[in-house]
Amino acid sequence: MLVLTRKVGESIKINEDIKITVIEVKGKNIRLGIEAPKSAKIYREEVFLKIREENQSAATAPEVDFGKISQLINKNLTS
Amino acid sequence: MKFETARFGLIEYDEENIIKFPEGLYGFEREHQFVLIPFDPNIDCPLEWLQSLTTPELAFVVTDPHIYKPDYRWTMTPDEEKQIEYMDSDELKTLIIVTLPKALVNMTGNFVAPLIINSRTKKARQVVLTTQEYDTRHFLIPEDIRKADAVAN
Repeated sequence: MLVLTRKVGESIKINEDIKITVIEVKGKNIRLGIEAPKSAKIYREEVFLKIREENQSAATAPEVDFGKISQLINKNLTS
Repeated sequence: MKFETARFGLIEYDEENIIKFPEGLYGFEREHQFVLIPFDPNIDCPLEWLQSLTTPELAFVVTDPHIYKPDYRWTMTPDEEKQIEYMDSDELKTLIIVTLPKALVNMTGNFVAPLIINSRTKKARQVVLTTQEYDTRHFLIPEDIRKADAVAN
């Protein structure tokens, strides 16, 4: 991993079109400003971890009672 | 073509119906090929199975998010569009993965990471939305019905 030290107000450039600036340091929190083209998707890492976890729990479906599920969903749709 | 699955036994499918995820799904990066299987052909139900053609045990429950949120919207980056060979929004099919807990009435859908499938080319990918609007565990059954069901049981 590349490790760089920056002061408040200083930035890091990634390629030509991405710029990350340290806006503020307050205790343990660091506020970052990110300038990037619209095509770049920017997420907090937790979002990915959460989706990964959710996929994992969805993959271990219990034995399914088809009748019960259909009844629940149809009740939902007709209500 | 044939594949022996854990849940459905031996299934037969046409090659043209294979849904291809070049990048796999999050947490399942080696799963590149799936087929959709109706939940139960005898029951009218909006849920389907997304069965892996790599791992016999792996099958997700999926559903159309618009049934639960008619105004559901998502966006893709140009790279993502290219990956599924996007040309026309009419040829896209949107599904979300459903998590079934033991109490089925509490089933949830992951509205943050829909599966976008190109019905023409069968190329697909799981897209992560940047909007804060949706939840990875959104209840599919409205609260009043969930409560009534909890009382009945």
